[in-house]
Amino acid sequence: MILVPDVVSPIVVGLYAPAIFVGIIVALIGLFGISVEKNDLHVLILTDIVGIAMLVFVSAVGTDLAESLILPGLVVELAEILAISEILMSREMRKSGKSVDLLPTPLHFDMEILQTAPIFVAIILIAYGAFLSGFTGGVIAGAGILFYSLSIKVRGVPSGVWDGLAGVSGLAWCLWLVGFLVLFVFPQYWLLGLMLAAFGVFIKVAFKAGLIGIMNREEFKKE
Amino acid sequence: MDITILGSQVIGIIPLGDIVFYFTPFNLFMFASALAFTALIAISKTETQVEAEFGKLGDRAVKVAKEEFKIRRFLAVICGLATAGAMVTGDLFDFTLFVCLIGIVNIGIVGAVKQVDVLDAAFQYGLIAMMASLPLFGGAALILASTGTISILAINSLTFTSPMMILGTLLLFLGVAGETGVAPFFATKAEMFRTPGSPFLLIIHLSSLLVIVRLIEIILIINKPF
Repeated sequence: MILVPDVVSPIVVGLYAPAIFVGIIVALIGLFGISVEKNDLHVLILTDIVGIAMLVFVSAVGTDLAESLILPGLVVELAEILAISEILMSREMRKSGKSVDLLPTPLHFDMEILQTAPIFVAIILIAYGAFLSGFTGGVIAGAGILFYSLSIKVRGVPSGVWDGLAGVSGLAWCLWLVGFLVLFVFPQYWLLGLMLAAFGVFIKVAFKAGLIGIMNREEFKKE
Repeated sequence: MDITILGSQVIGIIPLGDIVFYFTPFNLFMFASALAFTALIAISKTETQVEAEFGKLGDRAVKVAKEEFKIRRFLAVICGLATAGAMVTGDLFDFTLFVCLIGIVNIGIVGAVKQVDVLDAAFQYGLIAMMASLPLFGGAALILASTGTISILAINSLTFTSPMMILGTLLLFLGVAGETGVAPFFATKAEMFRTPGSPFLLIIHLSSLLVIVRLIEIILIINKPF
């Protein structure tokens, strides 16, 4: 039984089986590498290849639904690799008895622009990001905040600001969730839900930079 | 409700757009037990583990510090909620996401301990969990490709079972087995249980038991052997 509607060309339908085979081959390459490799870090990196094979499997379906399933798959993959690498790091720290900073290489920027123009550039980026809103705007505004935090690091980071940024980021995330809930529970207020989700995700993605700021502060031992 | 799932009537559904939660007496019971255990965890305090020292008569108490205890209880509560969600969800992909969340949180629960061998076991478990996400999501994607839907209620009303669906459910089973660390992968998880901090560790065990039971229900619904 074929579920595909007639408007889809047979070439696209015929691509499904090759895509699945490509996924299987990629997974076998990754698994073979894992079975040969003995270094733990290399095994961890090779495991990511298996995760990519998973994405090939999902994207081979090629419908709108599959497209919306790729994103959670990717997020799960990233979350797992982050969790496992944390485990690996803390194990190596326990073994060697030394503790390592979260950002092991301190960042040294000696550029003129970081001293003179940070606020102006950051404001332009944030304003343009607010105009775009959503994911894209969040990324651009986040770049502005990141630039500001990197440049102000040359002069010294105020410790309290980053806690505030992280808090606002969390609240904005709640706004995003509420927006989605509105879309599901009260579909007639879709415009409200859309706006809540768009601006929630904008603020959230922008203030991801706050997390980088927290890392900086840890490195500076609570200035 | 006129939908029949595995011989039991659907008591009710929670329609949230296309994400549908449904209740039958069977999965409602598992949902309630997962929530009850989560509530117990949320109010309980951690135990002090006493280890006998090798070659001597002394004992050694292993205490869990306050910070570590708080984060571990939080993760255990998340794990319980994810288990409860996996019990009642009517969406195959949501089920796989809940299972993945359980896997990640299991790593987190033992992530802050000081024993090197427990961390080693958690690392191996994490690798298996990551590799298992391939058959888990791949199986769900195969079922989506062969049925055109990932709603369990919609699959239940289909009249056919194609070989692709059987392959998909087999992959799904492999994925859940790796993600929750049951039978062939149990060695690493048994090692993880040696961590001090008892009631929170038990959620790792309970979640894998309930998820496997629920998975068998889903496999029966999709393949319709009866």
